[in-house]
Amino acid sequence: MTTFDILKEIIVDKFEMDPATVTPDATFETLEIDSLDTFDIIFSAEEKFGIKVPNEQVEIKTVQDVINLIDRLRIEQRKA
Amino acid sequence: MTIRRVAVTGIGIVSPLGNTPDEFFSGLMAGKSGIRRLRADFVDRLDTKIAAQAEFDPLQHFSKHKAASLDRVSQFALYAASRAIADARLDMSLQDKSRMGIYLGTGMGGAASLEEGYIRLYRDGAERLKPFTVLMAMSNAAASAIGLEYGFTGSNLTFSTACSSSSVSIGEAFQQVRHGYADVMLAGGAEAMLTFGTMKAWEALRALASEDPNDPGASCKPFAADRTGLVLGEGAAIVVLEDMAHAIARGANIHAELTGYGSGNDSSHITQPSPEGQAAAMSSALNCAGLNPEDIGYINAHGTATPLNDPAETAAIKLVFGEHASRIPVSSTKSMHGHLMGATAAVEFVACIKALELGAIPPTINLHKPDPKCDLDYVPNTGRTSVALKHVMSNSFAFGGTSGVLIASKFST
Repeated sequence: MTTFDILKEIIVDKFEMDPATVTPDATFETLEIDSLDTFDIIFSAEEKFGIKVPNEQVEIKTVQDVINLIDRLRIEQRKA
Repeated sequence: MTIRRVAVTGIGIVSPLGNTPDEFFSGLMAGKSGIRRLRADFVDRLDTKIAAQAEFDPLQHFSKHKAASLDRVSQFALYAASRAIADARLDMSLQDKSRMGIYLGTGMGGAASLEEGYIRLYRDGAERLKPFTVLMAMSNAAASAIGLEYGFTGSNLTFSTACSSSSVSIGEAFQQVRHGYADVMLAGGAEAMLTFGTMKAWEALRALASEDPNDPGASCKPFAADRTGLVLGEGAAIVVLEDMAHAIARGANIHAELTGYGSGNDSSHITQPSPEGQAAAMSSALNCAGLNPEDIGYINAHGTATPLNDPAETAAIKLVFGEHASRIPVSSTKSMHGHLMGATAAVEFVACIKALELGAIPPTINLHKPDPKCDLDYVPNTGRTSVALKHVMSNSFAFGGTSGVLIASKFST
């Protein structure tokens, strides 16, 4: 499974959403997921991927933004 | 400012005896107990394994996402509020929301969410807590959830005075309507603290009832010589309080009139009640309602079944009611629904409203061995019907000292 597949599973499960609407270029705004719920998705992703997202502000607008963040941290934190 | 009359026009409840006012009250009248062996994965580590749990499946009422963002206490409160509004047949689109507010009582707020967070941190060594932890655990989470759902812009307050929290919240909401600060108030209480940590803390206080060896449901024995303490419960009750003229103008069904509220500080000791402190709150409620002691036809007692409360409350009733004390039926419905802490006064207020409406007095169950220090008419074991009730009183006293007494009256124009 790709990062996207796993992330999509988290989002679909949490919000009981039509899987077809969750695409990499979908914005959280169009998915009606607010910033607090986005943190909740990232929290679940941390557990699922075994990473720790730093508290620094990261610009997150689309599903792809989260995929990029996860992939970057997986590489960085594997080295550490 | 003129004093306005206050109608009770809606009731919502989540209780160990069912989640409608009718189911709850018919359970009380039948002497049914909502107390049983606790169903929880930590029950083996408890010394006292009984509680009064509510049967409540959040996914029947909320989406998965919404349920996951609300502590059990807020789920109870939001559900009870929705039922109260539906019962009042309040069309929210027609209401001036700046004239509506919510006053809620709770003892421990989102206890389970905080405890779950601590388990992750301390036991599991987690680095992070769920992002919603603060918002789910904060004491005002339940009131906040109701305010957000219905968009009231009037006052939204949470009262936390232990066992009297929801007497105080209903009483203060009554004052809001009575004195014209609001036209409609949602008022009541919610509590969901049957968690491992909270139950252990209560065990340590040595205030909990021992399990009855023959019947766990019979463990809470208010006013009886063999009483051993209280049984913890969970649930919520919320009523719609409404300016009487507003209620009549929209043709609302009026369950009862809220006529009296008294509150005071029983400052003698943190846990030991004094009859004088309790009596002062009862007298204050009578004074507020403009009633004489002999006008009261039923008292729903605080009646915790702790060794100290029951004789103190008995003595307090005698101080206020004098010779009339022996003629008033006094019952403790906690013998059936347990002690719901921050929600208990609201649940007992619902019992009082139904008693007035139906002319029925619920019993004190498990009262087979009288205590000479408790010598009033406690309606032992069997409820009474066909009683013409005009005014009823609901007593709530608390660890920490805050007393709350409410008086409800049969509605007449």
